[in-house]
Amino acid sequence: MELFTPEFGLVFWMFVVFALLFFLLAKYAWPFIVKSLEERAEMIDKGVLYAKEAKEQLDNSKAEAEKYIAEAQMKQAEILREAAKMKSQIIEDAKAAATVEAKKVMDAAKLAIEQARKESELQFRNEVSAFALSIAEKMVRKNMSTDKAQTELVDKLLNEVEVKN
Amino acid sequence: MKKILTILLTAILSLTAFSAKASGGEGEESGKIDTKAIIFEHLGDRYGWEVPFCHHLSIPLPIIVRDYEGSWHVFSSSRVQHGEEFEGFYIASEGDHHGKVVGSKPGTDGAMVEYRPLDISITKNVAALIICALVVMLCIFSVKRWYAKHGMKAPRKWTAFIELVVEFVYMGVIRPTLGAKAPKFAPYLLTVFIFILTMNLLGLIVIFPGGANLTGNIAVTMVLALFTFFITNIFGSKHYWKDIFWPEVPLWLKFPIPIMPMIEVFGIFTKPAALMVRLFANMMGGHMIVIVLTLLIFIFAALGGIAVGAGTSVVSVAFSLFMLLLDTLVSFIQAFVFTMLSTLFISLAQAPAEHHE
Repeated sequence: MELFTPEFGLVFWMFVVFALLFFLLAKYAWPFIVKSLEERAEMIDKGVLYAKEAKEQLDNSKAEAEKYIAEAQMKQAEILREAAKMKSQIIEDAKAAATVEAKKVMDAAKLAIEQARKESELQFRNEVSAFALSIAEKMVRKNMSTDKAQTELVDKLLNEVEVKN
Repeated sequence: MKKILTILLTAILSLTAFSAKASGGEGEESGKIDTKAIIFEHLGDRYGWEVPFCHHLSIPLPIIVRDYEGSWHVFSSSRVQHGEEFEGFYIASEGDHHGKVVGSKPGTDGAMVEYRPLDISITKNVAALIICALVVMLCIFSVKRWYAKHGMKAPRKWTAFIELVVEFVYMGVIRPTLGAKAPKFAPYLLTVFIFILTMNLLGLIVIFPGGANLTGNIAVTMVLALFTFFITNIFGSKHYWKDIFWPEVPLWLKFPIPIMPMIEVFGIFTKPAALMVRLFANMMGGHMIVIVLTLLIFIFAALGGIAVGAGTSVVSVAFSLFMLLLDTLVSFIQAFVFTMLSTLFISLAQAPAEHHE
């Protein structure tokens, strides 16, 4: 049957046309198209991956920013606390220093007072002894002679007075 | 609206039945239609390409023949179209070479004998083949140009459609099957797919640039199958050949009588033969059914008069439409199947040695 027997002319031309078409497309078109297809597929894959990563990074950076803010707040609080502490410390220190200074002044005053008291005592004693001597001199000049025993007696009496004071 | 459309359509179809009756009466005195001749005329090849609505006119195509003495003759098909003789050649109206260009040469006893010269005419099918190749080139180079011009930007419109088809075959079949070897064989497989698809679809268009029953012609599918056959076997790996001549089966299946090797060798040839017949039979069948459905109008008009013909035309046009839609699907499926099986055969021949324990 004619339908099932290949005609030589058509086989010949089919071979020529197909071989030529194959040659032209294989040389000038397909490698380029296939390469572009592959490249584009790869690019899209990469793009998706990149977008995913970028989103992840964005999420991460938000969390990080929050972390930093929290940290900063914590630091701020700490600094404030420290400042308050330092303030009270300074006040206390100042108070202590003032106390010490005051004490010093007081001590110096006490010393001066003590000295003055001692001086005045010494003076007082000298004056008293001079008074007593003059009194005794007057008494003795009046009724008795100057005696060594009487001077001793007077000295003894004066010592007693001093011990009493 | 729908009703009006239906009525209009029916009226037009009935009119075709009238004209069928009329032309039938004119052309053939007996009123009988030689359906077999019409079917085979449409399925087969011709010198010259008929013009729609004008049966007696046709676009002339060059006839190229070599006579028995070895000299070449090139002339227009219009010179022999209506049974005339030109340079000793004419189209045989009967006999073994019915419808082909034949010549006459002196036989042994001195009388003139009809013979078939070497015929590489640009027939209707060859012209259609060339048109298909040009269409394919136009499509594929448009995609290439797009990539060259716009780089990675996705194509638009028609280019996008072509690219979609190419990507569908490449990413869907070729790359998953062939893996790393895909770029090596992709040019052949993609060319086969696009070319078969174009031939199938152009074959469904009834008028001029289409209408040739190309993939339904065994010569065309044979050449395609031979290409696959040679590519499969030339690039076959060592393991592939070892599997054919010394397959991993019990020894008695291959030693004294090489049963399995014989089957395997047979298989080398049946694979492309199956490719050839599958595409040929599917496309030819589709064309044949549409022609037969159309012819039913004329047959019934001839048998039972105009009313029956009109009734039949409605039914058969509906069926034809359905068949053509189905054929569009089949066009795609068959191109796809041919490519897929070619890919499979090539990838099987590429298989590296596997270690079975």
